Amino acid sequence: MLTYLLRRLLLMLPTLLGITIVVFSVMVMSPGGISAQTLVEGSDMKPQEKQALLDYYNKRYGLDQPPPIQYLRWLNNVSPVGFTQDEEGAYTGFSFSKGMDLGISFMYGRPVGEILGERIPITLLLNVITLPLIYVIAIVLGVKAATDRGGRFDVGSSVSMLALWSAPTMLVGVLLLGFFANVQYVQWFPTAGISSRAAQDMPFLPHWDSLWDVLKVFGCMSLGMVLAVTAVRWARLSVWWLGSLLLCGGVTGIALGMQFAGDGFVRGFLFDRLWHLFLPIVCLSYGGFAALAKLTRTSVLENLHADYARTARAKGLAEEDVLWKHVFRNSLLPLITVSAGLLPSLLAGSLIVENIFSINGMGQLAVEAVKGRDREMVLSITWVSGFLTLVGYLIADFCYTLVDPRVTYD
Amino acid sequence: MSQPLLDVRNLHTHLHPGNTVVKAVDDVSFSIPRGETFCLVGESGSGKSISALSVIRLLPHGLASHPKGEILFNGQDLLRMPEADLRNIRGSQIAMIFQEPMTSLNPVFTVGEQIVEALQLHHPDMNDAEAEERAILALEQVQLPKVRERFHDYPHQLSGGQRQRVMIAMALACEPELLIADEPTTALDVTVQAEILRLMRKLQDDTGMSTLFITHDFGVVAQMAQQVGVMQRGKLVEVGRTAQVLRNPQHAYTQQLLAAVPENLGKAGSSPHPNSPQQGLGKGEAILQIRDLNVWFPIKKGIFRHTVDHVRAVDGVSLDIPKGQIVALVGESGCGKTTLGRAVLQLEKPTSGSIRLQGQELTGLSARELRPLRPKMQIVFQDPQSSLNPRLLIETTLTEPMQVHGIGSGHEERIELASRVLDDLQLPRDTLWRYPHEFSGGQRQRIGLARALVLNPEFIVCDEITSALDVSVQAEILQLLLKIRAERHLTLLFITHNIGVVEYLSDQTVVMYKGKVVEQGATAQVCGSPQDAYTQKLLAAVPRLMV
Amino acid sequence: MTKHVVSRESFSRRIWLKTWQGMGVRFAFAWIAVLVCMGVFAPFLANSMPLLMSKGGVISAPVLAYLTREDVVVLGMFALAVMLVLVPLGVGKRVVLFVLGTALVTIMVNLLLKPPAVMIYDQFRSPTYTEADWRIMPPIPYAPQDYLRDFGQTGLEAPLEAADRIHLMGTEENGADVFSRMIHASRIALSIGLIATGIALVIGIVLGGLMGYFSGVADMLGMRLVEIFESIPTLFLLLTFVAFFGRSLYMMMIIIGITSWPGYARYVRAEFLKLRKQEYVQAAVASGLPLSSILFRHMLPNGVAPLLVGVSFGVASAILAEATLSFLGLGLVDAPSWGQMLNQAVKSSTFNWWMAAFPGGAIFFTVFAYNLIGEAFRDAIDPQLSRKAGVTA
Repeated sequence: MLTYLLRRLLLMLPTLLGITIVVFSVMVMSPGGISAQTLVEGSDMKPQEKQALLDYYNKRYGLDQPPPIQYLRWLNNVSPVGFTQDEEGAYTGFSFSKGMDLGISFMYGRPVGEILGERIPITLLLNVITLPLIYVIAIVLGVKAATDRGGRFDVGSSVSMLALWSAPTMLVGVLLLGFFANVQYVQWFPTAGISSRAAQDMPFLPHWDSLWDVLKVFGCMSLGMVLAVTAVRWARLSVWWLGSLLLCGGVTGIALGMQFAGDGFVRGFLFDRLWHLFLPIVCLSYGGFAALAKLTRTSVLENLHADYARTARAKGLAEEDVLWKHVFRNSLLPLITVSAGLLPSLLAGSLIVENIFSINGMGQLAVEAVKGRDREMVLSITWVSGFLTLVGYLIADFCYTLVDPRVTYD
Repeated sequence: MSQPLLDVRNLHTHLHPGNTVVKAVDDVSFSIPRGETFCLVGESGSGKSISALSVIRLLPHGLASHPKGEILFNGQDLLRMPEADLRNIRGSQIAMIFQEPMTSLNPVFTVGEQIVEALQLHHPDMNDAEAEERAILALEQVQLPKVRERFHDYPHQLSGGQRQRVMIAMALACEPELLIADEPTTALDVTVQAEILRLMRKLQDDTGMSTLFITHDFGVVAQMAQQVGVMQRGKLVEVGRTAQVLRNPQHAYTQQLLAAVPENLGKAGSSPHPNSPQQGLGKGEAILQIRDLNVWFPIKKGIFRHTVDHVRAVDGVSLDIPKGQIVALVGESGCGKTTLGRAVLQLEKPTSGSIRLQGQELTGLSARELRPLRPKMQIVFQDPQSSLNPRLLIETTLTEPMQVHGIGSGHEERIELASRVLDDLQLPRDTLWRYPHEFSGGQRQRIGLARALVLNPEFIVCDEITSALDVSVQAEILQLLLKIRAERHLTLLFITHNIGVVEYLSDQTVVMYKGKVVEQGATAQVCGSPQDAYTQKLLAAVPRLMV
Repeated sequence: MTKHVVSRESFSRRIWLKTWQGMGVRFAFAWIAVLVCMGVFAPFLANSMPLLMSKGGVISAPVLAYLTREDVVVLGMFALAVMLVLVPLGVGKRVVLFVLGTALVTIMVNLLLKPPAVMIYDQFRSPTYTEADWRIMPPIPYAPQDYLRDFGQTGLEAPLEAADRIHLMGTEENGADVFSRMIHASRIALSIGLIATGIALVIGIVLGGLMGYFSGVADMLGMRLVEIFESIPTLFLLLTFVAFFGRSLYMMMIIIGITSWPGYARYVRAEFLKLRKQEYVQAAVASGLPLSSILFRHMLPNGVAPLLVGVSFGVASAILAEATLSFLGLGLVDAPSWGQMLNQAVKSSTFNWWMAAFPGGAIFFTVFAYNLIGEAFRDAIDPQLSRKAGVTA
């Protein structure tokens, strides 16, 4: 177990090095490359100021030195173990605890570490909410489609999942933004950001001024749910319908109740945040759950036809138990394998989504940094996202061993 | 006699793949008295497994239908029973075990959990501790070693034979009246098969249950069954007491099947060894000499993946293969016989040792240096599905090697030569202009043989070439092989696990066990009076037709 | 020589027939055929100048005079492709002839054709062109870069909003006709999809094949490289490349190509490792066939069919990548592109639905079509394979 973990961590190092070398070479080899000249150019300064800035950049980042040296300097700064420097930039000694210095962003003039510290949590928040959502929806749809093989739901969901998977994020994002967060049509959702200015002063949970309003809302919600249950009973529909109708009834009930309730409603920080994140998360998740639902379907189908499922049926188990007790856990295995690849694609998705919905996360930062040729920022974003991806792989492999007893750390 | 436990009357099972209808089981009737074993025997696709699955109603609903017939179990018709009642019978009164012990157990639950589940399903009042005790009893009953440890093991930690024992324990845990066994020993080695069959007979004596036993092996039939039914293309062509059917088959198909069993092949007609040279090993000119051959595969572990140990697939093997003889290399799965065969042809690089073909050392030669020697030695593989390149016409598959080695002066001549080889193998000449998928398994094996023969080799390695084939097809191939050997003065290294085939075909026999050769000599000698303990065990385990 | 009746049931034919069975696939192929036609004949479908006009008894075709080099090359390639399909030849020969022919056409066109350097589209609406005896205009009488300067201050206009002009899909922010730009953009989308995937495929097959066949050290180093490229989010790498290397069409193709090869390399490697164990490959080795025959006759063709599935999905994602880059403002500068038009849908808090619906719809349908084809292909080759459907988006 420990050897396995150590081995994996050691293997990460060359990969991370390789990633930064690739991106660094791209920047260096490009026409113009990264030089103090290109950075200073265009700014409205006096010649001596320009010269001073030029010298500063050259000294601070060694931009006048050959690329390999530049890279090694950067690496030394970033690595937590390395040579220490004094004020003048001369190397004074070797230290194992000098800490990481990600440098100062060319564009923002602030330490990269600080900026990343602000931006990464926002992107992670988006992804952390999206990931479980993707899995829940994908598993529900996939299992339902597999048990209904060849039926109407199966065929319909197959086609629509492929269509969803093919729909470009930017189209969906733009449509959602245009229709649901725009004064021209309906403005149910905010257009930008992840919280309103007023949200900072709000209490965490939503609340109403009077108990009476709360009761009204609650009453409407219960009514909606009761109606849903009666409808299902009356039409003798399956559990799947019960679930989805309950959800619809409840939500409609709450929405109606809000109309009846007085004005004393305060959204609260949590609700405000969710309200802002709703559209971005829809945008970020649909592609993932479409792909995963297809995968779940094939995986469940394959396992339903497996020999051990037949054994379970021969024992006298009902089809429901065969599905949930025996088949389900085995069907999860490919889903776990895929989860590793999901994180990079989510990070890429955030890039688009954050730009559409003007969210100040790492994705937006990445686009800005690249456009502004901000070397320190680009390199740091590269290795941070690479690191997150590799950690994702590691976690996925670890989860796999939890579910599948056949895999051991050897 | 009282009412039989199971009475199948005019059973019809139709399968509906796509829009077609396949009559998989067509008017089959048989009955099984209490305490007896009934064997359904037939070749692949004869509908024997479908019949078994029909009895326990395990065929998928959408895919199968039963337009006619009834299956009376204790007087109740299973075909017309509601699903909920059927579930009560499945597992508790009728239990089933399957062919593939590797995949028939759920890999993510422990062995114990799976047995306990079956018990608690049919005895809802049983608490966990009680169920565990019963499960352990059941595992002890099937003679699993160290039951209490095994109880918490996952299926992948057990060997194939142990898994099949677990399957039997699970089936018998609820003390069923009828056990359906669908080729339970086909995937197992012959010594393990013997143990499992012995166990099943013992359990049957102890519990008095009836068994419906599906198999393709007449040897197993002879050991297990009181009654036997022979199936052909969905129909039951002959039913009777086992001894009677085996000794005196009435139906032409049964006669044909029995005649094709290797054990009987030798008896029919003339001796298979026309010029049978009754010489011991070492006499005569050896075409191939193997000395101290090792093929080891490294096992790597730790942070830096250093080699900690080796899997010794072939471990210090020395062997002479005399010219013009058929040498059978026999052993159970994993004994290294296939690796040895491939190492001889340098398809697997030997770790150390020497291989000489007609005095020429083969190990250490580069691909270029080996090329002129390649036509002399050829190989035919086991799997008819993957033995031919699916994208190439048979013509290309056959003539390309000839062209490379300069056999035949032009394309036309090579086609003519290839056609002649096909004639020898009793394949039509238009075979050349077809693609592999248009042929059956037996035909593909012949084409594989043709590919080897077009190069006029002196030595051919046959790696389990009949293992995937039905017994009647196997008989044809074996007879063909003998004919060609005689015509072309070939030397064969015939790798197999089937003792019957060895006895019929080979002049010399080499027995391998765990990478080592444990016994070698003339076939009659090795099979008649084996010296080594393992060889004795192996030979004793072979299910014979005539007990 | 005697004529032999060769069985028609070759491997590729069977796969093709199976693929063609689904309804969705036929629609997908139809859509792509429409796109190809639009891309090839774009200058004749949407242009500001008359196709044919007669003035004072002189019949002229202004559209021909103003064809760009690219237009001519594309037309030449299309003609070549049609001819090669009609001529009975082997697949290999066809491909070679096509490549040679394309190269020849490109060289000839670059040497011989001298298109006018400046295009002033307004002049085609001047009396020189309008006052003719008769003239035939293209179905959409606006060129993609015709910003309608002569109509005064033009900008975003909804479909059919302008009284004096007909714009079926409205106009974009500079005043150019969206339908016209859509038609011309299909050429860019298709060519980027195919060429970028082609580049990725070549790199992937070469590296993957080397890794798979010569395992050992080569394999280890190669897999590290694959892992490195896979750990950087592709889109981010693309952005970096494009931002630092400029935005020409050909650069974009190369860049998308070299960022998407790892998937193919990994796949080819796995396939080669699997194929090497196949008995017919072992038999080929045992027959002493030369390495080239083993690789290119016995291994590669059998690995290609599943690879085509990847290619189909790959083309879809390459088209998506180009659209995304253009959407993020890092695409082609002036050339029409679906993604760049989509970017104009939400500008300064107004929502221009036609800029979302038409270009976005085109991207969606194209990607959907390629995915449908890929899926059908996969099911035809091996139903078992569908399990391995990864997340390639």
